[in-house]
Amino acid sequence: MMADPSNATRPRLSAILSGWTPQLVLVPTLVAALVYVVIFSLWTIWISVSKSTLLPNMAYGGFGEYAALWQSKRWIVSYQNLFLFGTLYVVGSLVTGTLLAILIDQRVRFESVWRTIFLYPLAISFIVTGTVWRWIFHPQTGVEKALHDIGWLSAQFDWITDRDMALYVVIFTGIWHSSGFAMALILAGLRSVDADLIKAAQIDGASMPRTYRKVVLPTIWPIFVAVTVVLLQFAIKTYDLVVALTQGGPGVATTVPAIVVYDLMFQRGQIAQGAAAAVMILVALALVLVPYAIWSGIRAKREAAHHG
Amino acid sequence: MADTTHQSFDPLATGSRARQTRSRSIVYLLLGLFALLYLSPLVIIFMNAFRPLEEIVREGFISLPNMLSATYWVEAWSTFCIGGTCEGVSRYFSNTLLMTVPATILSTAIGLVNGYALSKWRFKGDTWVFGLITLGVFMPAQMTLLPWAFVLGKIGLSNTIAGLVLVHTVQGISFTTLFCRNYFLAVPDDLIKAARIDGAGFWRIFRRIMLPLSPPILIVCVIWQFTGIWNEFLFGTVFTSGSNQPITSAIVAFSGSGTGERHYNVEAASVIFAALPPLFIYVIGGKYFVRGLTSGAVK
Amino acid sequence: MTLKMKTLIAGASGIAMATLATGAQAEPKTNMMHQWAQGSEAAAIAKLGEMFEAAGGTWEQTAISGHTSNTLAKLRSDVVSGNAPAAVQLKGPEIAEWNATGATANLDEVAAAEGWDDVVAPELVSVMKPTGNWVAAPMNIHRVNWLYSSPKILGELGLDVPKTWDEFNAACDKIVAAGHTCIAHGAADWSDSTTFDSIVYGMDIDLYRAAFQEADVDAMRSQGMIDAFAQLRKMVGYMDDGINGRSWEQSMTMTMTGEAAFFLMGDWTVASANLAGFVEGEDYYCHQTPVNWDGDGFILNADSVVFFNQKDEDYIEGQKLLAQIIMSPEFQVTFNVAKGSIPSRTDVDLSEGGFTQCQQKGLEDLKASVEQGTLVRSMAHNMTVLQKYRGAMMEVITEFVADDSITPEEAANQLADAVELQG
Repeated sequence: MMADPSNATRPRLSAILSGWTPQLVLVPTLVAALVYVVIFSLWTIWISVSKSTLLPNMAYGGFGEYAALWQSKRWIVSYQNLFLFGTLYVVGSLVTGTLLAILIDQRVRFESVWRTIFLYPLAISFIVTGTVWRWIFHPQTGVEKALHDIGWLSAQFDWITDRDMALYVVIFTGIWHSSGFAMALILAGLRSVDADLIKAAQIDGASMPRTYRKVVLPTIWPIFVAVTVVLLQFAIKTYDLVVALTQGGPGVATTVPAIVVYDLMFQRGQIAQGAAAAVMILVALALVLVPYAIWSGIRAKREAAHHG
Repeated sequence: MADTTHQSFDPLATGSRARQTRSRSIVYLLLGLFALLYLSPLVIIFMNAFRPLEEIVREGFISLPNMLSATYWVEAWSTFCIGGTCEGVSRYFSNTLLMTVPATILSTAIGLVNGYALSKWRFKGDTWVFGLITLGVFMPAQMTLLPWAFVLGKIGLSNTIAGLVLVHTVQGISFTTLFCRNYFLAVPDDLIKAARIDGAGFWRIFRRIMLPLSPPILIVCVIWQFTGIWNEFLFGTVFTSGSNQPITSAIVAFSGSGTGERHYNVEAASVIFAALPPLFIYVIGGKYFVRGLTSGAVK
Repeated sequence: MTLKMKTLIAGASGIAMATLATGAQAEPKTNMMHQWAQGSEAAAIAKLGEMFEAAGGTWEQTAISGHTSNTLAKLRSDVVSGNAPAAVQLKGPEIAEWNATGATANLDEVAAAEGWDDVVAPELVSVMKPTGNWVAAPMNIHRVNWLYSSPKILGELGLDVPKTWDEFNAACDKIVAAGHTCIAHGAADWSDSTTFDSIVYGMDIDLYRAAFQEADVDAMRSQGMIDAFAQLRKMVGYMDDGINGRSWEQSMTMTMTGEAAFFLMGDWTVASANLAGFVEGEDYYCHQTPVNWDGDGFILNADSVVFFNQKDEDYIEGQKLLAQIIMSPEFQVTFNVAKGSIPSRTDVDLSEGGFTQCQQKGLEDLKASVEQGTLVRSMAHNMTVLQKYRGAMMEVITEFVADDSITPEEAANQLADAVELQG
């Protein structure tokens, strides 16, 4: 892929280089990505089958840590949570973000005020906002108490202390945090759409929702892919949110994999098992990304065939 | 509002006048309801920044202040003791700025050029390059901690702000490349083709066509990088020591499951101080969200 | 106080002289890594810095707050990147683990010169000398098994503070019948385990030692452990519905304001209660948690500082000086008054310097329990088994509290299984 300067005759060197500019520009990023993505992952995979305990140790130790990991209830719960949380959180943030972006796109007054209101959750550390949501959701300090105080004594809102509902509290707070960013990206996308396209649709008599559904949103599908990827990585890396909101409780009901990785690697001095858990996160990611890659590959081929 | 005047179309401008008014009220009603929900935690933090500690401990967090006191704001900024140094959060503020600003500028600039190259100068294997760069967004920070420590130690950047800038730039490029590439995909290829026929090269097309189209995605990248790096805790804590630590080290002190007592009011004020720079960027960046920078404007 | 300070400075300069004599031009320097980032604890650490500088050293600190994992993550990264910190706050079995990596410094010289073996509480010595050499300096002794009670509720119902678990259950039945919450609690793995520490210890001290100090899985499967889980289940029933997502400070306030009758927690509560303006004897009483055997009990937790090998002479000198200051009676008084704990050396007079009644009672009980042979170290606070066993046990205990479909028999087996799984 790289130009090989030794083969180039002198006078044409600069011409050849300028022909390769797009690739040359990408070289530093590519090198960084190779180290950061490939080498760091390979290192983690090796550590997961090594004898590492308190500190990394490169001696081979077998697959015992994977076996131990999959016998731990906490890990199994956290892995299930990752899929449930990931799905609902990504879909919820996408839907909310799109709705907010479209609302703001209606030539509303004080646009920047609305935008800032929906974006600000991103500006404040989860450690803090998670704590405040905990107060709001907790039956004795939050909504339930407020309802009792105004006389509705039978009111009950204790999801955060309920094993089966606590994860939905985490999902809600996650959506609150990231839907504003989804809105910003989608809004940027809406504004990249050629205005002539929309005018044409309106002249054809399409209503507002129809214009968005049929004309505007399909044009910016790459933005939705970007938003989904961002939300997916948030879901996979979720740590602060759960620590501040529920500390993984009640019991282990809301534990997520990133917490287990961090605990094993750093709190408990089981670096090999922590690395095994990290590898399982990468596997979960592959379960989502590989089908998508295959699908888009097929789609690209079909489109090429169609146009050809 | 200045940022709405240039909008070149109004999606609601269809149907009868009465229907338009009704649609508009629904839009404002929905926005208002969402705003209320979104703002509630901020309001609670804000109120607690004015209440005496004793009142908070005795009455709980969600209750109106009996008396307002601004002293906690002063204390949070300049005299509160964090980590044994009684200079408030101001000391950490500049560390974080020194780390966040270079990392944001670097990663955004590189991402912009990458996105342009990957979307408008297709070459064999470009999707693989893009895929590899994008995979970088998924690396769990907890997993990369020890490899980074090793790399930083080897290149002599451990416990320095420069080391943190490197870590955040490498991480950030994955995001900014992803955002910019997918944004530029929506830009019509005809524009580029025309320019190439006219003899314009890579950089000329970038300057003349892509840059003027970039402000909305630029501000998205800056918001993302700035707030992400500003609020990042793990790398900041692990890769710096003592007086080099970022503001999040102070902020996270509040979450502590430690056994010391908590100054909720000062914490609340510190949190708001820490949130001001990202909020400032949101407000300033807002005007770059103007519509009208479309193909029509460039032709 | 000032006189002692002078002796201290003289001692420090004595060390400096000694190094001068050997030719090294070392100036003591240190950078201490710890997790006390704010409040009175940070102030106490700042005092350590002042004393260090007064003795001629250059002081720097890295305060990492929040979860202990953060401190340990930084420590591991620093060691991996080749910059091991000079001094780190570490505790319990971790001292032995790090000692085994060969990265820790030997403090025997300072310890011998200062006579640490004679003054440090015996239960701590084995922790600080994992292989016979001093590698850590203990800062304090926390008592884990405190029962705080509400004078208001006890007075209203004419109850005495319960001394055995049966009395405790009987009292709770009356308190709940009268419409109060009996136990204030905020559920988390460490706080659930703190409560369980006291239960197992109070019901069967030998079981506690076998299961929690030796990690003996047969003891974990025994009838005694099943009975202890049954008592924990009973106590969860005496708690209100809001235990999840509540901090320990909020639980403390419930008992201090008479909303709940009892609160089981370590002595750091005393520091927090004082700050919130609650008064000992008026807003709360402190007693040891119930024991079914007659006597004084003490579950011990201690903070300590571990020193890592350094290449720079200045930092090596700094380590010696810091160790000396940490063990000085002056520092022990300042630090522990602020933290609610008691000094790690047994020769400090607690009647001076601002120690509360509860703290003084803590020291008396410590001495009594040493005499009676009832002193144990805390599992919940990471003073006994390796973190991997402790973490596995705490998962089972906190799940048991959260999920009432788990029976005590199942829990006892899960506890043993979880430990066995860690190899």
